[in-house]
Amino acid sequence: MVNGKSLDPTWAWEPYEPSAETPWDTGAAAHLMRRAGFGATGAELEELVQRSPADVVTELVEAQESDVFQRQMRSLITASLATGNTERLAAQWIYRMLNTPAPLLEKMTLFWHGHFATSADKVEDAKLMQQQNDLLRSHALGDFSQLALEISRDPAMLLYLDSATNRKAHPNENYAREIMELFCLGEGHYSETDIRELARCFTGWEIKREKFRINRYQHDTGEKSVLGTTGKLGGEDGVSIVVSQDQTARFLVTKLIRFFVMDEPQADDPLVEPLAAQMRQDEMQIGPTVQRILTSNLFFSASVRGRKVRSPVELAVGFLRSLEGSTDAYRLASAVQDLGQGLYRPPSVKGWDGGRTWINSSTLLGRSNLIRRLLDDGKTRFGKASLKEHLASQGADSAKDVGRYLQKILFAVPLPDSALQQITQSKSGRSDKQLRDVVHLLCTIPEFQLS
Amino acid sequence: MMDSQLHRLAALHQLAAPRRATSRREFLRSGAAASAVMTFSATAPGVLRAAVTQEPSNENILVVVEMAGGNDGLNTVIPHGDPIYRNSRPNLAIASNTVAKLNSELGLHPSMRGFADLLEDGQFSVVQGVGYENPNRSHFESMDIWHSCLRKDETRLDGWLGRYLDQVQAENWSDPGAVHLGQDKQPFALMSRDVRVPSIQSLAQFRLRGGESPEFRQTLDQVLESETESTGNDLLGFVQSSTSNAIAASRRMESAGTKYQPTKPYPTSGLGRKLETVAKLIAGGLQTRVYYVRIDGFDTHANQPDAHAALLREVSEAVTSFVQDVNSHGDGDRLMVMCFSEFGRRVAENASDGTDHGTAGPILLAGSRANAGLIGEHPSLSHLDQGDLKYHTDFRQVYATLIEDWLGGESSTVLGGEFKKLNLFT
Repeated sequence: MVNGKSLDPTWAWEPYEPSAETPWDTGAAAHLMRRAGFGATGAELEELVQRSPADVVTELVEAQESDVFQRQMRSLITASLATGNTERLAAQWIYRMLNTPAPLLEKMTLFWHGHFATSADKVEDAKLMQQQNDLLRSHALGDFSQLALEISRDPAMLLYLDSATNRKAHPNENYAREIMELFCLGEGHYSETDIRELARCFTGWEIKREKFRINRYQHDTGEKSVLGTTGKLGGEDGVSIVVSQDQTARFLVTKLIRFFVMDEPQADDPLVEPLAAQMRQDEMQIGPTVQRILTSNLFFSASVRGRKVRSPVELAVGFLRSLEGSTDAYRLASAVQDLGQGLYRPPSVKGWDGGRTWINSSTLLGRSNLIRRLLDDGKTRFGKASLKEHLASQGADSAKDVGRYLQKILFAVPLPDSALQQITQSKSGRSDKQLRDVVHLLCTIPEFQLS
Repeated sequence: MMDSQLHRLAALHQLAAPRRATSRREFLRSGAAASAVMTFSATAPGVLRAAVTQEPSNENILVVVEMAGGNDGLNTVIPHGDPIYRNSRPNLAIASNTVAKLNSELGLHPSMRGFADLLEDGQFSVVQGVGYENPNRSHFESMDIWHSCLRKDETRLDGWLGRYLDQVQAENWSDPGAVHLGQDKQPFALMSRDVRVPSIQSLAQFRLRGGESPEFRQTLDQVLESETESTGNDLLGFVQSSTSNAIAASRRMESAGTKYQPTKPYPTSGLGRKLETVAKLIAGGLQTRVYYVRIDGFDTHANQPDAHAALLREVSEAVTSFVQDVNSHGDGDRLMVMCFSEFGRRVAENASDGTDHGTAGPILLAGSRANAGLIGEHPSLSHLDQGDLKYHTDFRQVYATLIEDWLGGESSTVLGGEFKKLNLFT
């Protein structure tokens, strides 16, 4: 399947054991941190390779935000909400991604934001958007059944899908369709009758004064038949029937493989099924599923390195985190939105398609220009210092060493020798400006777009 | 499959009739392309060959001008000879001797000199009486109907142009299929499930920062030139050729930005500036098929005369300059501009020298291949629906014609039904 060969699913999901062929080195650690988080600094990578990959992944899966960090985020959110401006909200999320001690939790929150896509452009209520964001984070690595139920009663979601009222005389089919098509099963795994019947289960579910409630006068109490289950079903029953379909785990695992392992080709059934079966056994727990993916042979195999296109958020936040960078989060949030990944503003209920769709002539130039702007912005600091000082502190002060260092922290595939040569030949100087040119140049070449 | 076949056909056609020879020479003179051609024989890596062989686009372009707020169609295409018009609008009627006469009954608003000139040149048409069944008089709602072709009780996930892009998108498109010019919210018409449309404010977004430094540029070119085409990783191969195309595009844009001379200066209005940018993007050879611009302010409830005249002047001057400019740069026969608004206004004026929300209105088309003149009858002023004009042409008929006869798509999936086409182009 990778490189046209069919993969052995048993081998693929067996736990990875470092070997001479596939060593647990800084390259492997950087790969893990890029996919499971937003990159890591050189020092972090050196520290990670001292431990076993399994321990590192366990720590990633179990990591929680500290109380101090949570309090800090609370007050940032309160300040953002006071402006009522959803762009401020996007900025605080960027800040959270840049500084979180639990990067996988944040990465998964971003995953669910794209999965249960809801846009502030339509909801037009910053508070409800943040409430949904908090919900996604609190279940990001938790129980999918619970997450699906709560998102089905989430005010922002129901407003977004025009499902704030749902009367028995006119059942609204929109949410019923999307929970099956986009959230749990995928097209082709339900019928139009299932949609109509499920919509009847949801009658009476409504949003009043920004809160979910059940209007029992509007609930259709009759018998329904959804995906083969018949009874006087309510909304909770409906969600539970959909989530408990065998297909749900398959659908989610396929999407998680795409998110963590490779954009293309799409994982086929033989590869998906073993993980899906385990997810069902785990009663739809997300954390263990993610952990299995991140500790697998497939995940660490050389063939999946560089098999993903960096999303705009991954590109910008990853660049900064790898260089201990900090910057004006508001400007950065708006820049990633211009590149197609507006936080709190996914383009449609389908979320971001990712992969090749991130790339066209305008976004590629925009990506290069974004790195340049970050480098030239007076508010951007690297480890609280200038770029030159930071790189020097990492032992990279010549252009050649800078090339090597950036290869280690930022690149999923080897930099072409020619690139390193050109850079070392033309940029013999060591001024901050010249180093910024080197970094900008390396972040403009095609290899940088891959994760 | 279909798409790539079409592209191959288009390429063959270009070989047979290289009508954009100048642009191509100009393109080849630019750095990366030229140096790649010199070494083409044996050593030029495939990555760059792809960039060199990518022809500037030859396909038809649609530019949509949204006149937001509800344009007063009756004072745009004016039934100056009709006594009901003058009686309904004692303060707002435009005098018969000032309109740019189309015939004994109809004329264009006097501030639309540009459109009158275009019409004389056979490059302007008015589709009259355009609207839809059960008209909605809310700006938001009616605009959503025009953008999505869906009513409120239907789920709106994408817009008509977005669905067109979904239909025609090709894997080998390296340029965006559509571009929105402006800082405002992206028009819903461009929303698509599969295709993302960039919003750009200026040509600068197609320029590579740091590109002004010759040393940076040179090193980048050398690095890209020496990249060997990835064989093992399709994704890398894709990003490599996209990057080469992007750099080539940025070079064309730079050249368009500095060398490009409009035939005549554009008006300095907001719309004029946006359309000048579109002209540069077209001249730069982008493959983009649809451009979208918006001008707001047509909600003239009070003190309408000066405000409306200024808005119509801005539209007419900007669009006329644009069409003439694109014509003189040789791309006129593949350009069509469509100006629309979410509704017209009531026939009778109100007490504040303004007009309130109405229904049917005209769509204006400009371009050298427009079927010039009036298309369809002016809606009757004596057979009104509660004081409003009755539409006779569904806006989706105009869309269907644009999709099928101009952009080369299939309209029924885009519009959710079959709509009778009109005779809009020559």
